[in-house]
Amino acid sequence: MTRMGFVVSAALGIAASTALGAEGERVQVTGEVIDTWCYFSGVMGPPIAVVGSAHHTCALWCSAGGIPVGLLAEDGTVYMVLRLAGDDRSNGGDTQLHIASHTVTADAMLYERDGLNYLVVAEVTADQDIINQTHEDFGVVPGFAIPDDARPTE
Amino acid sequence: MTRIFTVALSLLVAAPASAQDFSEGSEANSWNLYAEVPARFEATVVDPLCVLAGECADDCGDGRRQLALLRTADDVLVLPLKNNQPAFTGATNELQPFCGQDVEVDGLMIDDPDIGATNIYLVQRIRSVGAEEWVTANKWTRDWAEANPDAGGQGPWFRRDPRVLAEIEAEGWLGLGPDAEREFLLDWLPE
Repeated sequence: MTRMGFVVSAALGIAASTALGAEGERVQVTGEVIDTWCYFSGVMGPPIAVVGSAHHTCALWCSAGGIPVGLLAEDGTVYMVLRLAGDDRSNGGDTQLHIASHTVTADAMLYERDGLNYLVVAEVTADQDIINQTHEDFGVVPGFAIPDDARPTE
Repeated sequence: MTRIFTVALSLLVAAPASAQDFSEGSEANSWNLYAEVPARFEATVVDPLCVLAGECADDCGDGRRQLALLRTADDVLVLPLKNNQPAFTGATNELQPFCGQDVEVDGLMIDDPDIGATNIYLVQRIRSVGAEEWVTANKWTRDWAEANPDAGGQGPWFRRDPRVLAEIEAEGWLGLGPDAEREFLLDWLPE
């Protein structure tokens, strides 16, 4: 192959691999089901404050509102969830709403594309409920999430 | 041969997506976000579950699934997380009418690789390629109102959504259970 031919082949090879996307890999991921918009954008505060119990009500709003949910693993990696077990309603579906802020373990296929990690979850194999009790440090984020009239009677 | 070399070189140069600047011509409004970058570009509206995993459905899932933007200039898959409403609302409802179509979008990329935010997007307006009129990405709340005609009470949708209210009633505002969070609420909320 000539040098020019190698350059052309290399360029076309890059284009082909991009168009086909990455191969999936079966993984087991444990992490918290998070609201990805608030986590990534910082609109409500730093990442550490928009997870767990402090942010649970907002996480419900965002999940029901059709914002993609993610799994935040212990190492800080965020996995975007495209399907959760048998439910492909990643746009505000009930399955993802029920486990907002829960720490779960997922048996899934992982697809990496253009810097993002996408999960297609076959099965949630463990659900620890909400264990990240961030309200002890941050109160409620955002502060208006719980209306004043929600105060219990003493 | 010169032309072939030019094409090959342009493909090589186009490969690193992060090097490209899509802010030219953008009229996106700032949301004053730390890592926002205005971005206006052409793309195809795709179903990422189909593109990545081969699990395809009619009409991109008919509104059930998250949708993505396959950017024309560099073949990068951009995931829109947010529409243009400051109301905890996603982008799929805005993109669904354009399933499979070539569109032009304007909005904000969120670029904060330290926390994994790469190629995610807030879409503010959208139009089919070649169309004159832009569509503002703010239909989500209208869709919700049509789907929830019996939702009572006052205030924005997220204060009245039946599914959200049911979750809070069952699990509490913090998700720890009404009894477990009682003392916190007494301390947190004004008398």
